Amino acid sequence: MVQNERAAVLIPVQEKAGLGMTALDDFTPLVRLHQQRIYRVLLGMVRDPDAAETLTQECFLKAYQRRASFRGEASVGVWLLKIAVNLARDHRRSRLREFWHRLSSSFEDVADLEQRLPDPHASQERVLLGREEVATVWSAVERLSPQQRAIFMLRFVEGMSLEEIAEVTSLKVGTVKTHLFRAVRAIRQRLKGGGAGE
Amino acid sequence: MNNHLSEDQITEWTLGARDDFVSRHLETCRACSVAVEELRSAISCFRDSIHATAQRDNSFWRDQQLAIRERVSDWYPLHWAWVAAMAMVLIAAIFLTRAPNPSQNKATEDADKALLQQVQADLAREVPEALAPAVLIAEERNEILTNKEQTKSTLKKRRELK
Repeated sequence: MVQNERAAVLIPVQEKAGLGMTALDDFTPLVRLHQQRIYRVLLGMVRDPDAAETLTQECFLKAYQRRASFRGEASVGVWLLKIAVNLARDHRRSRLREFWHRLSSSFEDVADLEQRLPDPHASQERVLLGREEVATVWSAVERLSPQQRAIFMLRFVEGMSLEEIAEVTSLKVGTVKTHLFRAVRAIRQRLKGGGAGE
Repeated sequence: MNNHLSEDQITEWTLGARDDFVSRHLETCRACSVAVEELRSAISCFRDSIHATAQRDNSFWRDQQLAIRERVSDWYPLHWAWVAAMAMVLIAAIFLTRAPNPSQNKATEDADKALLQQVQADLAREVPEALAPAVLIAEERNEILTNKEQTKSTLKKRRELK
């Protein structure tokens, strides 16, 4: 399912014209096609469902505003992810906003992210272990730089190739690999009960 | 020194790099295979938890589509209003900031002063400008007549003295 969705998102450049990015009516199918992935990536980056929802809207609004600048060098999916990653980075930079949001947002939502596990029928022990693992990875991911965090999400949550991630982040493949290596190492350190790593 | 895989090797393996030595080692070393499995499982659980949290019902996505559509529709006229406002501000700024030439300004001031003086002179005049030649003729005539009168009276006085 993930593979199908990924294939659908990374629509070839040639289909840009077919997507009809000039009118509002033609823009809605584009939203429908990509909104779930954009929301998921943003959720992983900001770790806040409310913020992810707002940023998803922002992402598509920005895409609409800048649709003339879409040159077609990358697929629409990559272009949208690029906008989303930049938005998430800006959002995280705004510490003040984060502070106020933490005060006002529902803490349950954030905690929910750690609690949710795909298999509700798993044994109690497995569920607890899984929650612990997820919490550990989160604590390591939280300490990553926004760039590393984005790369980690795109690789392990979205299953994107290094080349695709390089396109989204405008980095070289080698740099992406280095960031990924550091991110995974930081998680490994956390799992071992060590320091932050990064 | 130990014979286990290094942190770098475990990380590389998790990232998908395949190495015969590491592969063989993992088959025989329980500690390393547990470490690799632990890392793989943690990342896998993390991915699944995000996917599970991001799973929303259809109404959520529909509402979001509507919200995006609404925001784009709101932006469109606002965008053009903003562009028009900026254009007006720019035009106004060009007109307002156009600095007058100092020499031109002085010449205008002098011309204004001269015109004012002329107006004042015109107002002070007893006779309209158009009748000025007639006044001159009348004055000359009066002068001649006065001179004649004086000459006559002088001649008369001389005669009386004789």
